Amino acid sequence: MQEMPLDVAIESIRVRFGSQALTRAAELPPPQPWPSRTPIDRLTGIGGLPRGRLSLLSGSGTCGKFTLALLLLAGALREFAHAIVIDTNSGFDPWALLPFHPELSALTVVRAPAPEIAGEAMAALAKAGAGFILLMGEVPEHWLGPLESGANRSGTVMVGVIDAPGRAFAHASSFSVGLARTDWILERGQLVGLRASARCVKNRVAPPLGETQLEIRYPLGTKSLFDHKVHVSEVAPLHTEELACESAVV
Amino acid sequence: MRICCGLTGHLELARRPDLYGNPVVVGDWDEHVIAASEETLQFGVMPGMALRQAEHLCPQATFLPPAAEAAAHLRELISSALYDLAPTVEVRIEGIAWLDVSGVPKPGESIREARRRLKTAIGREPRLGLGPGPFSARLAAARARPGRLVQVDRASEFLAPLSPRELPLDAEQLERLDLLGLRTLGAVAAMGPRELESQLGRAGRHAVLLARGLEPDELTPWRPPLFTSAHRQFEPTIEDREALLFVSRALCSDLAEELGLRGAGAKSIRVRLFFEDGSQERRDSVVRHSLSSAAELFGLIGSWIKEWQPHAPITELWIELPVLEGAGRRQLRLWAGGDGNSEEVAAALERLQERHGDEVVHRPRPVLLSSPLPAQRFA
Repeated sequence: MQEMPLDVAIESIRVRFGSQALTRAAELPPPQPWPSRTPIDRLTGIGGLPRGRLSLLSGSGTCGKFTLALLLLAGALREFAHAIVIDTNSGFDPWALLPFHPELSALTVVRAPAPEIAGEAMAALAKAGAGFILLMGEVPEHWLGPLESGANRSGTVMVGVIDAPGRAFAHASSFSVGLARTDWILERGQLVGLRASARCVKNRVAPPLGETQLEIRYPLGTKSLFDHKVHVSEVAPLHTEELACESAVV
Repeated sequence: MRICCGLTGHLELARRPDLYGNPVVVGDWDEHVIAASEETLQFGVMPGMALRQAEHLCPQATFLPPAAEAAAHLRELISSALYDLAPTVEVRIEGIAWLDVSGVPKPGESIREARRRLKTAIGREPRLGLGPGPFSARLAAARARPGRLVQVDRASEFLAPLSPRELPLDAEQLERLDLLGLRTLGAVAAMGPRELESQLGRAGRHAVLLARGLEPDELTPWRPPLFTSAHRQFEPTIEDREALLFVSRALCSDLAEELGLRGAGAKSIRVRLFFEDGSQERRDSVVRHSLSSAAELFGLIGSWIKEWQPHAPITELWIELPVLEGAGRRQLRLWAGGDGNSEEVAAALERLQERHGDEVVHRPRPVLLSSPLPAQRFA
């Protein structure tokens, strides 16, 4: 019953404002993907993180989002000329990257003592065309517009890592994954990793939403960090939840 | 070597083309004559003589004070106009323009174009000479009719009958040549360089080489000034920041285009705003990497304008690049994504450092990764 009025409304808007005024989400051209070679790629539905868009990794502490972000960053360091970390709370230590075998010459860390500076830095670097930006924290709402337009032009891959994003920040993201720890992995009584569920809570680049299980193994032992490799692997087949609604308009 | 010389008359005289055909003398009162038009020569007026004497000899002449800056500006204009016609161009304030046309595929076309441009710049036909060196080319041009070319194939034969007064010697040295009985360049050329050197010093040796047509002097090539700027006047005045940003973006594009043609970049950038009340404000900066693209220039200048608080309506905007240098374009790394934007990213990071301090941007470089102290692991 609701379809008829919706179709009528859509048709009247198109008649009044033109056929391009409303476009079905499925008909929109997807953004170019950056294949990160992580389980996240399959969740996006386009085979990689969307270029020129903001992707969010969220979840409460010890859910594995930072490890996943470091994995993405290490891949970007090997692939892009510039990968930037915007650190809003001075908590980023490049040492934590070593198990991922990064190309450190491409890394630049922007230590932003205030969210305003983080926003300015992120907008400027996205506009300048930095290949990958990892934002640890959040930027003020008024920087989200310049950020989106700058990244759209340059195709910068932007990933934000945050416990719980604010409404504006969450709204500005095109793709959002919520991580939740499901289990600790213990071997011989020692903690060696964790299992986490990664659920796509927002996807504006492609239907459908999805969920998967990740297993993250910590680098442990007497070997140096360089000799270790952190394992982030998918342990369960991807579950795809088809959207319940038949119409989605943007 | 084939040198083309265009004689236009002293550039001080070219400031007043309305006086062409009349006797004109340029010089400061109580000083010497700097330039004199051809019409004063018949009265015996010569550059270098006292102005009072020139006035005595030719009282009907128009006496003008010198304007060295305007003449130098004109010299720069002529140099830049001739710059693309030959690999080496030298223009002197005395109204001599040399072009080294050796190796130029079509030297005739270059010479014709040089004649046209000199006429446009000066307002009268230049005399043209073509010789194996600057000295013979200048003397050939001096013997050409306006707009015509005298070509010299064998310099020694051409120079031999000419007077030694054509040599760059002072009056005392010329008098000594006369005393020595050297009354033609051919006679000077017949002397050994060392013999005349013993009489006149180094100038004597130089004079013999010139007289023999050996052309010991080389041209001093003119190079474009290492400075460029773009500006826009606003009529009516503007108070709108968006309009200012729009104009500055256009100016940055113009500058970037010019920089691209020159293969140059700029590390030093200056922006000046002129206000309705006659005052001006300026802001300048020196960045670490030279900027050459419109995006790089506007990235910096746009950020300034966005935070500028003008105190009055703006009448004029100037963007100046005071020091140009090689753009330092580099070979792109093919396998590093986005490497073509490296300069823009570096410029954006520099702007952040400029605004918020150097410590904002950190590029971690491994130093002692095995250290238990985090501060020692990275530089």
